[in-house]
Amino acid sequence: MSRRYWKSIEERDGGEDWLPADRDEFPEPLAVLPDAPGTLGRRGFLKAAGFGLAGTLAAGCQRGPVSKAIPFLNQPEEVMPGRATWYATTCGACSAACGLLVKNRDGRPIKLEGNPQHPLSRGGLCAVGQASLLGLYDRWRHRGPLKRGQPASWADVDADIVSALAAIRHRGGALRLLTGTIVSPTLSATIGRFMATFPNARHVVYDAISSSAILDAHERTHGRRALPRYHFGQAAVIAGVDADFLGTWISPVEFTRGYRDGRSLEGNPPRCSYHAQFESGLTITGTKADWRTRIAPGEEGPVLTQLAARVARRAGLAWPAGDVGMPPVPGAPLDDLAGRLWAARGASLVVSGCQDVAVQVICNFVNHLLGNYGRTIDINRPSYQRGGCDAALGELAAELAAGAVDGLLVAAANPAYDLPADLDFATLARRVDLLVSFAGSPDETAALAGYVCPDHHYLEAWSDAEPAAGCASITQPVLAPIGGTRAIVESLARWMDDARPAYELVRAHWESALFPRRIPVEPFETFWDTAVHDGAVELQVAPRESAASGTSAPLPDPVAAGAAPPEGALSLVLYPSVGQLDGRHAHNPWLQELPDPITKVTWDNCASLSPDAAASLGVREGDVVRIETGGPSPAAAALELPVYIQPGQHDRAVAIPLGYGRASTERFTRAGPHWLESQPGVGPNGLVGINAAPLIVFEGGTLRYGGRAVRIAPTGRRIELATTQRHHSIIEPRQVSSAGSRPIVREMPVSALSAQQPPPGATREGRGLWPDDHPYSGRRWGLIIDLNACTGCSACVVACQVENNIPVVGRDEVRRQREMHWLRIDRYFTDADESVDVVHQPMLCQHCANAPCETVCPVLATVHSADGLNQQVYNRCVGTRYCANNCPYKVRRFNWFTYARADAVENLVLNPDVTVRTRGVMEKCSLCAQRLLEARISARARGEPARDTDVRTACEQSCPAGAIVLGDLNDPASRVAALAKDPRYFQVLEDLNVRPGVGYLAVVRNRDADPGKAGHV
Amino acid sequence: MSSRLVTVVLLVGLSYNLLAVAPRIANWRLPGDHTDYEPAQPVAFSHRVHAGELQVACLYCHFGAERSRHAGIPPLNVCMNCHRFVTAPIGAVRAEDVLAVKENRRPLRIVSPEIAKIYRALGLGDNLAPDPARTPEPVAWITVHNLPDFVYFDHRPHVAAAVTCQTCHGPVETMERVRQVQALTMGWCVNCHRDATRRGVADRSANASIDCVSCHF
Repeated sequence: MSRRYWKSIEERDGGEDWLPADRDEFPEPLAVLPDAPGTLGRRGFLKAAGFGLAGTLAAGCQRGPVSKAIPFLNQPEEVMPGRATWYATTCGACSAACGLLVKNRDGRPIKLEGNPQHPLSRGGLCAVGQASLLGLYDRWRHRGPLKRGQPASWADVDADIVSALAAIRHRGGALRLLTGTIVSPTLSATIGRFMATFPNARHVVYDAISSSAILDAHERTHGRRALPRYHFGQAAVIAGVDADFLGTWISPVEFTRGYRDGRSLEGNPPRCSYHAQFESGLTITGTKADWRTRIAPGEEGPVLTQLAARVARRAGLAWPAGDVGMPPVPGAPLDDLAGRLWAARGASLVVSGCQDVAVQVICNFVNHLLGNYGRTIDINRPSYQRGGCDAALGELAAELAAGAVDGLLVAAANPAYDLPADLDFATLARRVDLLVSFAGSPDETAALAGYVCPDHHYLEAWSDAEPAAGCASITQPVLAPIGGTRAIVESLARWMDDARPAYELVRAHWESALFPRRIPVEPFETFWDTAVHDGAVELQVAPRESAASGTSAPLPDPVAAGAAPPEGALSLVLYPSVGQLDGRHAHNPWLQELPDPITKVTWDNCASLSPDAAASLGVREGDVVRIETGGPSPAAAALELPVYIQPGQHDRAVAIPLGYGRASTERFTRAGPHWLESQPGVGPNGLVGINAAPLIVFEGGTLRYGGRAVRIAPTGRRIELATTQRHHSIIEPRQVSSAGSRPIVREMPVSALSAQQPPPGATREGRGLWPDDHPYSGRRWGLIIDLNACTGCSACVVACQVENNIPVVGRDEVRRQREMHWLRIDRYFTDADESVDVVHQPMLCQHCANAPCETVCPVLATVHSADGLNQQVYNRCVGTRYCANNCPYKVRRFNWFTYARADAVENLVLNPDVTVRTRGVMEKCSLCAQRLLEARISARARGEPARDTDVRTACEQSCPAGAIVLGDLNDPASRVAALAKDPRYFQVLEDLNVRPGVGYLAVVRNRDADPGKAGHV
Repeated sequence: MSSRLVTVVLLVGLSYNLLAVAPRIANWRLPGDHTDYEPAQPVAFSHRVHAGELQVACLYCHFGAERSRHAGIPPLNVCMNCHRFVTAPIGAVRAEDVLAVKENRRPLRIVSPEIAKIYRALGLGDNLAPDPARTPEPVAWITVHNLPDFVYFDHRPHVAAAVTCQTCHGPVETMERVRQVQALTMGWCVNCHRDATRRGVADRSANASIDCVSCHF
């Protein structure tokens, strides 16, 4: 029996003959109007136009256009027009602080890539990091300081602030600095110096997506308020409880890489960790799990208690003393999980994203029982990627409410937007006399502030980062500041009468504080140059006596399940989406148009409901529902959002992504092409999505994102969500194919892999009617994508967009199935025991040898190269779109418009090595032909033979999991040739015999072989 | 309006157009073919003097050809390597020397008007010291060999394969003002690539690709 894969609920419930409603490549028919009698008519008009054009050409073809070539006056030594220079720096898009290599062309950065030498990110970069480049060229950024909303000079603003601060200092007033997590040691030190000049000053740190409970729990159990560093690569058994560690939790790039290492499938038996995930909504981490269980929001505590009790029993510990009741999930698999964890003592890992400190204490207890501290969890070399303390935030809110704060500085945070309605920061902040924001772009907090002292974009600034103890990296500017902004560290120093630029501040701090921690003794100059060149250096961590590592710590209190909720009760799950996180990049159109890996929704947020919950409420996808909460704060009681139906979600959960409804998204009203039928690119509120942050609960000293009870009522209105879920479906007509003959995705249990079964359909070549007219005597480029490693994080999608100048089309065009991404990630569901299994499949041009697109092009605009590329020649294409109609993989994209590129500043991000396509041209993945050519030419210029290891495509470079491998299929020594012999290797729609150059490796689930459940489809 | 009438009117219009261009028919070329384009440049730089008489190597000024896709127009600091000392043609300097001897005085400093444009562009005074009254401003040369935006020509592989500059740019060392000699159309490129693969370049075998992605991506 084969498993049936489906992309949407409609497809699952459709019969054998089901075909997607938009099965046509171009779903909208072209309107051809009949000619009215007595008029020139369409044909007459074309004739006239044709003759007119011929006449103009005949008269006009004589002179070349005049274009100017303006060289440098004095060319800098390291700059060469047409050549890229690379700088190592640190990503500032979130507090994970991954290592970056920045590609500079002609003095401007055009592409960010992961730094393979960075010890944390190890060469990967997430979608947000990739897209943060566009923030640099954002025209809406603050150009200079503002004083009460009006542009002012730095001297003016500095004078005002310095005198106001002097007054506060003089009278002993309360000064508070509210920031997000600061990973920069120099900035932390400068803040410390600055605060020390005030008699009553405090630095309050919070994270919009908080992990405060983990730090609080470690303060209780280990006597140190710190976030440990998790080593997923060393864990053989992983249990995740509401922690999306592959998607958005703390440091997803680092964790993805580690997770992949633990599931590398090397050796025999293959190395493959066992991953159990308990969660309410569906996350990309849950999609990778070997055993995924849906739990209701708020059941994290009971689940962890039950798991801890089972582990404790194996450890010979009678815990808990009392009865904790029935587990909210099936007991037998939980027993099995506890057994696996216990068997893998010291090489297991239990993580939880729950914001209840008591639950986190139990999580620490389990990990302590399993002996994971010091092995997979490092508390002595902690992570600094989340430093927020929600309790301090609560104290600050109380102080603000009491009017006890005289001055408030806000940096790297947007509290007026991302704090719960309970705290009501926007109202409280108005009571402060001196409110200063350091926001680089206009945001909700800066709008309230009396003074805005805008910070640089991180690519313009000297700074540094220490995301984990002992791993320090440099942030160096790659271009001069575009506007009149100033680094925070400079602003603070300036207000202390220290006029040094950021470069000197950073360098001085490194010399005094970081250099002494360097173990290979070398001159500071060498150390500094190494750090700037490599981007990251390893440092010693000051040994500190680790307090009771849990051994002598008192046993934690169990968290029992509460009273069973009434039937049909719903609770909230607020989660950061992979593209938007906490909303700090809402101004970025690349991220807005990135389909969410789970919902595939773009340009909007939505309330996800499980199919059963939606059925019982009687709502369909796109129905706008009113979500009401109880509680004391009526201001935040309601929210109206469109429904999205999410298989795999718990029936009691309502999942809403955070980070939407930012004020800065007003600008997208006219995103996309303007034509007769175009619709605004924003929702009815004039913004992209709706801010769900007011629904966060501040309770027990932490920000809680889940578990709040809500009621849902349909409003009767509908919104058509711009979801790509049903777009570009590879059609598998079941009436013509017997089951199993057309594999799109494949899965296998790990036992089948260790048995080294040959794949079905092992004979690949030498079939069919096609003559073998593509001999590929030299090189044949191939790309192999490991679906087992792929998490669906979508970093490749954005990397491809940046590298290949792919336009943003806007919400309305996405609804019309006209998104332009060359690389999309199809995600397929299959029914599993009580939930769904999900497979993510990056789908791009398959570079077929017998390419169906090539045979139908009337103008030979798509033809084959000698080394296996399916080439698309834009200047030849006349836009018949036959090729797209004939592509079985649905990977060709048509330029319906010349997409808006009017923004001269934003256009600086365009890759000068790739043509900017115009209207009426077909395009598709070129396998980064510009990179292949560059590698070949530079190898030839060096006099070396070109090796396929010299070049990596944009998607491959960015992938945090290393799932994508490019290489020469004809070279037996290449990695791709070895992978093509792997038993997991398959080609999509192999029986079509189009001989694709792109292949896939099957997903491996660490499950027992069960012919009914796990097989090939 | 009958269709035949429309056609007749259009044919008449086209014939008129053709008549209008008839006197220039000798210059008529296919679209994209700019052979013999020879625009006047902002500085009357002579390739005949530099590359021809003085035998300055092409790559001395166009040093990008080995390292970048673009051969590059030299920045003015390259000009100043020589023109810091050479301020006028040697004939004019000698004539001044002869005149000075005859008039029994020190020879004057001769700066030719074209070289003076370099100094002005760099913001230098006549004594070659920075002149605060002058703002440096780069020279806006007029591109002669201009390929369409959808073509990605790269100099490096051609230089590495020992294709001479003159193959594509013509006898530049004889030109007072640079003129486009070859058509630089795709057919011309592809023919040369085919010939190179068949016969080799400079007595070495060559593998000149004729794949579309070699130039279009």
